[in-house]
Amino acid sequence: MQLNDKASIRRALAAATCTLLGSASQTSHAEGSDEKWRVDTSVLYYSEQDRVTVVEPVVFLRKTTGEDSFVNFRLIYDTMSGASANGATPTNKPQTFTSASGTSTYTTPAGKTPLHDFSDQRVAVAVEWDKPVDHLSRAIYGINASTENDYRSIGLSATRLRDFNDKLTTLTLGIAGSYDSVMPIGGAPIPMQLMSAAVPSPAGGEGDEGEGGKTKLVADAIVGITQVLTRRALTQFNYSIGYSSGYLTDPYKVVSVIDATGATLDYRFESRPDIRLRQSLYWKTAYHFDHDVMHFAYRYYWDDWGIHAHTADLHYRMELWKGAYLQPHLRYSTQTAANFYTYSLLNTSPVPTYASADYRLGDLTTTTYGLKLGIPVGRTSELNLRVESITQSGNGYPADAIGIQKNYDLFPTINTTVVQITYTGRF
Amino acid sequence: MTLLRRAGYWEGTFEAMASPCSVLAEVASAAEARRLLDLARVEALRIEAKFSRYRQDNILHRINSSGGQPIEVDDETAQLLDYAAHCHTLSQGRFDITSGILRRVWRFDGSDRVPSADAVAALLPWIGWDKVTWRRPHITLPAGMEIDLGGIGKEYAVDRCALLLAAETRASLLINFGGDLFSTGARADGHSWRVGLDDPSATGSASAGEIEIRRGAVATSGDARRYLLKDGIRYVHILDPHTGWPVPGAPHSVTVVAGSCLEAGMLATFAMLMGHDAEKFLLDQHVTHHVIR
Repeated sequence: MQLNDKASIRRALAAATCTLLGSASQTSHAEGSDEKWRVDTSVLYYSEQDRVTVVEPVVFLRKTTGEDSFVNFRLIYDTMSGASANGATPTNKPQTFTSASGTSTYTTPAGKTPLHDFSDQRVAVAVEWDKPVDHLSRAIYGINASTENDYRSIGLSATRLRDFNDKLTTLTLGIAGSYDSVMPIGGAPIPMQLMSAAVPSPAGGEGDEGEGGKTKLVADAIVGITQVLTRRALTQFNYSIGYSSGYLTDPYKVVSVIDATGATLDYRFESRPDIRLRQSLYWKTAYHFDHDVMHFAYRYYWDDWGIHAHTADLHYRMELWKGAYLQPHLRYSTQTAANFYTYSLLNTSPVPTYASADYRLGDLTTTTYGLKLGIPVGRTSELNLRVESITQSGNGYPADAIGIQKNYDLFPTINTTVVQITYTGRF
Repeated sequence: MTLLRRAGYWEGTFEAMASPCSVLAEVASAAEARRLLDLARVEALRIEAKFSRYRQDNILHRINSSGGQPIEVDDETAQLLDYAAHCHTLSQGRFDITSGILRRVWRFDGSDRVPSADAVAALLPWIGWDKVTWRRPHITLPAGMEIDLGGIGKEYAVDRCALLLAAETRASLLINFGGDLFSTGARADGHSWRVGLDDPSATGSASAGEIEIRRGAVATSGDARRYLLKDGIRYVHILDPHTGWPVPGAPHSVTVVAGSCLEAGMLATFAMLMGHDAEKFLLDQHVTHHVIR
């Protein structure tokens, strides 16, 4: 240790010590109140071009209840409005649709993709308790509930994390369950019934079977392992399995019934199996450069409806100056269609048990480009802005389109913009 | 926790940070002595709980188990990290709070179990404060690395307690946490506090002499009971984070007198890290010191 100005070490130490003790003594009265609250507030704006718009304010509060123990509280209020594709294909005539109860109708002009107008509000609350169990384990217990005009959900979750191997390995086990009620506006249609045959219900708003709603149960389990590979690299591997049973059909979706010329004759209300078994494998790796951090994730998903999906996701956090950062995001996802997905039903073919023209169950490719900018505000707060552009596309001109169907884009590309502003503060 | 009446002062003792801790107070009543002792004890235990590497429920554990993610720290932790970073620079990287993982291979238990060169070299990629991203209030510790504030914690606790207690009383106090001590001033009769120095080469309670302090701090680095002996070579427990090996020529112990326990402790540690040049370094710093070889 060659030191040029040798005596300066003592002076430098004295100055540093003075800073440490001087400031510590000033803050000594605040020791008991070391960051008790963390608040995240954000507003998310989601807009599908010509379709759905969602404005979603979120308030997240985290209260530190002890050394390393937290209670998280989340409140979300969504206002959704706009139009979503009802599943029918465009055709050369205006199309009129009637709800299951016959109480409401809407018309789509010739040549346009039929969209169903809607507006809804959703309130969701969630509370989570996160605390150490022993020196190697943590437990997180959660309860959540949400309500919309036509949907209600209540759920419970439990997660256990355990460290092994000098904390280089973490095992995660989680289970979650929810009980949902669907109360379709205009009643729940009879699956595969022709729209023209739907019997208007005088009461209106009631389901065809005289029920106010349908229910479904969802159970999920996850097992994961996180491994520190080197001082710069971390990898994570998860397997998750989910089981849904009950009313899994979308009451607002229909399938066009066409003849051999491709002309639309009628519509059938869609029908989905009442059980779905979902599985996925997820692999994520993070690499820490000198300052920047890169995250790459790949997911393979499959279910017993026949959907197989591959998703790759890349985030790169670039540290700018004074704590600011810029984070580009790229995501690519591609999925195969469910077995019962169809563009339309031919009137001469037997009526299948299950059929849906919901584009979300079709062959679908989703590409996301995003950018996030974070700026520190003061010492303990951060403001960040996230902008993403999402494109969902499929095959609009399939080889098996019939007659005049060939003239129309049966799978219009959906462009979505997401803008989110978040403020994080600590008190 | 015990409180005893001595000649002209009260001596309160408790255990914290794996050390016997005592507070000597020249106050009249037992109640006042107990109040001061309680304040010191609560503060010492608070600091221990917050920064001990043996606990899994504190900020240190959160940082060490962050797996490469940034962790936001409170002001006090930030001040200590700033201080540690400063000491790293001043010692040209010899004092390094990331070097604690060398404990996995070095156990100074008096045996001859010197680790293999490979075992030591394998840990070096996980050592080095320069590999840590510290941008107050966020620390990003590369996965697998650990920090340990053990080299600062006890001295910091002494100085903090001295500040707290001095704000409560004008009486003379001597705070002694395991040999790191601070006196708030001369005793009422004008005499200094006299403190026996431990002889590190003896295993018993033999004294290597006495130090007198009026106002100021004394700290010792080194512990001759912690060593390895193999093939006639004695390996002292002060390690060089650059090599992962004991500093050649390091004294058995270094004791320094300074204005605060932190300064005294750091100067003593820096001197140990200088090895053969410990005495020269201390002379250059113009500090009162005592080196045992």
